[in-house]
Amino acid sequence: MNENKLFSIVAKVFNVSVNQINYQSNPENIENWDSFTGYILLDEIESEFNVKFSIEEALQIKNIENFKTILKEKGIDIEKE
Amino acid sequence: MEIKQLSYYINEVKIIKSEKHNKKIRVAFIGSSTLNGFEETIQVQCNEEKINCITYNSPYNQFNQEILNENSNLYKFKPDIIFLLIDNRTILENLFYFTNIDSKIEYKKFLEEKFNQLSNLINIITKKTKSKIIIMNFVIPTYSSLGIFESKIEYGVKEIILDLNKKLKEFSRNKDSCYIYDFNSFVTKFGEKNILDYKKMNYGDIQIDFNLIPYLIYEFLGYVKPILGLNKKCIVLDLDNTLWGNIVGEDGFEGIKIGPYPEGRSFIEFQKVIKSLSENGIILAINSKNNQKDAMKVINEHPYMILRKNDFSCIKINWNDKISNMKEIAKELNIGLDSIVFFDDDPVNRELIKMSIPEINTIELPKDPSNYAQILRNLNDFNVLKITQDDTKRRIMYEQEQNRQKLESSTENLNEYLKKLNIKIKIKLDDKFSIARISQLILKTNQFNLTTKRYQEEEIKQFVDDQTIIVGCAEVEDKFGESGITNVFIIKKNSKEWVIDTFLLSCRIMGRGIEEAILGKILEIAKDKGIERIKANFILTEKNQPTKNFLKNYGFEKDGENWIFLLKNKIKIPDYLEVELNE
Repeated sequence: MNENKLFSIVAKVFNVSVNQINYQSNPENIENWDSFTGYILLDEIESEFNVKFSIEEALQIKNIENFKTILKEKGIDIEKE
Repeated sequence: MEIKQLSYYINEVKIIKSEKHNKKIRVAFIGSSTLNGFEETIQVQCNEEKINCITYNSPYNQFNQEILNENSNLYKFKPDIIFLLIDNRTILENLFYFTNIDSKIEYKKFLEEKFNQLSNLINIITKKTKSKIIIMNFVIPTYSSLGIFESKIEYGVKEIILDLNKKLKEFSRNKDSCYIYDFNSFVTKFGEKNILDYKKMNYGDIQIDFNLIPYLIYEFLGYVKPILGLNKKCIVLDLDNTLWGNIVGEDGFEGIKIGPYPEGRSFIEFQKVIKSLSENGIILAINSKNNQKDAMKVINEHPYMILRKNDFSCIKINWNDKISNMKEIAKELNIGLDSIVFFDDDPVNRELIKMSIPEINTIELPKDPSNYAQILRNLNDFNVLKITQDDTKRRIMYEQEQNRQKLESSTENLNEYLKKLNIKIKIKLDDKFSIARISQLILKTNQFNLTTKRYQEEEIKQFVDDQTIIVGCAEVEDKFGESGITNVFIIKKNSKEWVIDTFLLSCRIMGRGIEEAILGKILEIAKDKGIERIKANFILTEKNQPTKNFLKNYGFEKDGENWIFLLKNKIKIPDYLEVELNE
């Protein structure tokens, strides 16, 4: 459930289909991911999951896996149904 | 226009790249903070309005260099509009943080320095380009290090910003190509807390929240539309549950809701906003399925109605379908369907108009009328670059037009009617005082326009000063009143031949021999100067069909792409009207 939600936000922001998204997705393998759109992604994840990332956390993000880890620290388990 | 999230625009821009429209605009953003997302959003929003928008975004915080360096990419880009977006931290520098209680003299000096710096930048742009310049004003800081004592000091940071905004406004009032965008009001409307997120600012100097960027760009489109002549001229209104609550045919005169009570207030507010627009030149019309007698009684007699019969230039209250009513309104008012904004509470009617006449801007209305007024206020469709006297008098002119139509239907033949009108035409050549109105007509006239060439005001000014070009215009009046300046022509002079570059007529005076008389007068002037022939051009567009045979019917002969009139031939001017020339 949460994984679907996360992947669809990513897909929407970068305009790719959901099944192209996985935890290893990163700026290297997603064409539209640059520093600005990466920040839009962060912003949308914050508002959709109703959490706030600190600027240090924001700077750590290199791929989708990192989002999962930080969300888990904030009490949101992405892999749980 | 529905406003979407920023990520939509960033993705959509890649899809719309191949769409081609007739209207084109080149927009440059130069600013002091990160402006990513601006280009994509304005391109997509323009595309939704059928405009091709080409954009340029100057490198981060390089506005000084871009303006001062005459070989900069900004100038190479040749913009039609430049948005100069400087934030208040950049302008205030350290003063943003540190306020002294007794530094009035230094602050005044600082203010002068900053104003001179900005006005100098704008002056340089005006010298180097013909572009319009929109400079964003500054947001009044919401924090003062002096706390509650701030209100006791004579001159602080807030005063600097207030004065700077005031001085910029005065400066732009006297500069035709320069406008102030009231960003301070935008921040008031959406709230500083929603606009400025400190994390985003620290992360990448992003000073406007992502999802508010599309709202800001929507306001910027308010400048693009009038430059391209795409502003709306007319509001068409439904009655029941749009101008008042309830249904007059069912609930009766006493049962409708408008007045100083909760369900009645929205309609008073809405009508006041409509009325204020009409006072600045927007024309109003009614398109309603109703018993005419019931509805007119409300309009004429209801004590709380703001809009009365005289406020409307065209009234269609009947049981015909709304589509044909709409077409008749456009025809009677002589305006294009694409210059109409339509308000109707009924979603079925709205869908009907949207499907059948998509060029009308049909506004989505919520069920609760409380927000009608604010929805109207937020539209960017009614902006004009100039409000001329003709605009404020427009409603009276339409009233006169209706009297003319009455005379026409009571007079048996057309010639008799035209004679009775006592038409007088006053032609002016290279008149500096008419430039504002001339450029307005050049930007918006579609139907009676031989070449539909669009020139900005700055270009018209150059033409007026140019000895080889005549910029003419004509004022028309008749027994019912003045129509103001309703014709423009531009002629390029060669030694033996004059070329009619532009010839247009406001469509509300078409078909009374006025166009023939003005053309005839131009030919006479040319003949007096020893010119042998006149060359003219007709460029067909989607909208100027009514003008197609004008040159031919007057007696011009086709010569390849051009139409030629030899001045040795007889020049016709209808004898029932008077033409006067002021050189």
